[in-house]
Amino acid sequence: MKEKEKELTFEENLEKLESIVKDLESGNTPLDEAIDKFNEAIKIAKLCDDKLKKAEKAVSQILKEDGTLEDFKPEVE
Amino acid sequence: MKDKYITVTQLTKYIKFKIDNDENLNEIFLRGEISNFKAHTRGHYYFTLKDENARINAVMFASSVNKCKFLPQDGMKVLVTGKVSVYEANGGYQIYVNSMIEDGVGNLYIAFEQLKEKLAKEGLFDPAKKKPIPKYPELIGIITAPTGAAIRDMLSTLARRFPLARTILFPSLVQGAEAAGDIVKQIKKASTYPLDLLIVGRGGGSIEDMWCFNDENVARALYDCPIPTISAVGHEIDFTIADFVADLRAPTPTGAMEMGVPNKQDVLILIKQLKMRSEKNMLHQLEVKRERLDQIASRYVLKNPLSMYEAKEEKFDRLLDQLQFSISGLLERNRKRLEQSSKHYFFLHPEKIYDEKQRQLENVVLALKKQVTISMQNYVNPYNQLLSKLDALNPLLTMKRGYAIVRCNDKVISSSKKLKENDLLKITFNDGIITSKVVK
Repeated sequence: MKEKEKELTFEENLEKLESIVKDLESGNTPLDEAIDKFNEAIKIAKLCDDKLKKAEKAVSQILKEDGTLEDFKPEVE
Repeated sequence: MKDKYITVTQLTKYIKFKIDNDENLNEIFLRGEISNFKAHTRGHYYFTLKDENARINAVMFASSVNKCKFLPQDGMKVLVTGKVSVYEANGGYQIYVNSMIEDGVGNLYIAFEQLKEKLAKEGLFDPAKKKPIPKYPELIGIITAPTGAAIRDMLSTLARRFPLARTILFPSLVQGAEAAGDIVKQIKKASTYPLDLLIVGRGGGSIEDMWCFNDENVARALYDCPIPTISAVGHEIDFTIADFVADLRAPTPTGAMEMGVPNKQDVLILIKQLKMRSEKNMLHQLEVKRERLDQIASRYVLKNPLSMYEAKEEKFDRLLDQLQFSISGLLERNRKRLEQSSKHYFFLHPEKIYDEKQRQLENVVLALKKQVTISMQNYVNPYNQLLSKLDALNPLLTMKRGYAIVRCNDKVISSSKKLKENDLLKITFNDGIITSKVVK
């Protein structure tokens, strides 16, 4: 289960979070299930939040002629 | 006499011969402006080339038309090559065009319009074919020059807005003759990476500088690219062909990043809101359930559990009674059976048998005695009766009352007629006997 969550992209996680919140708001979810979903929602929210806050600067690479990738930093004028 | 007159045909043939054999007219380089342009259905072009003072009819056969890279239009200034000859049927000389190119930069616009129209017809700009731009791209490809403001602006914008995303730069020339080919090559390379988004662009410049983005091959490569694309050619007013083909058009490289990635702050707020919504909803649900629980808990039976107990108690009592009743019934039945059995054995006991026989005997004796008494009475009673009868019949008693017994010759005389005179009578009284004589 946890492995699977890691595989989800940021967008998939956010979509999942949104759908869980919608489910919860529909009020059709039995309490037990709702509690599980709520816990999952909090977990995903934290995951996304952490991911976003931890990313301090975008990683940039450049494709070299030989097909390899190299870190890239644009020159300052 | 020789006829001095020749036919029109002869004259025309002569003129045609003269012109055809003029080397100067065999290979002409001519500059002019197109007018009266007409594309024949069979593929030939007929038009007039003119300048301010003169004009010449022109024809371009289908074989040459195929090599022409643009569709001629009236007013276009062109450079043509060809030869001059005569069309005998109307006696007109005209230029037979082998090749034609546009004359001057102003014609770039026309070429642009023509390509745009052509690609539009093919459906390369079809809005239905546009791929959606992902909301949160995590790996972004960029095709632009590795130096200059464009890449710098894009990366700084990305770092500011959505540092979560990684970028791969596919360096490319973005101006000059080689640029279009380079861009095509890099689009194809980028297609092999698992990119969420591909941005193709360059900073602002003259229309000629960014002409590579109006290249047909670039347009087709963009169209074929499986990754969602954003065009970012720094020319806010005019659109390039690439702008029409790309899934999204940004006015500048910076704009491409602003449109391509979300703002981190917005996303953090969204996450917070979603979290709050789920918390609020959870609390609300818990509250609702609690209310229901309270409602249930406040019901009579739960508040007065004894009431439920009482009913059971009553039932228990009834059952207990039933049980006792059936037990005592059972006991009673068994006791009776026991008694009966006991009696049975009781009577079988020898002493009891003796007693019983004794009693039977006594009974018999008693019965016998009774019988005897009865029998005796049977005898005694008639006797007594007889006695009393006898008493009643006792003549002595009668005599007491004054009666006397008259005998004659020891015979009891009951009738006077049996008597005669002087008979001696013996009269017995109660208290003695006298002797008398009959007188009469």
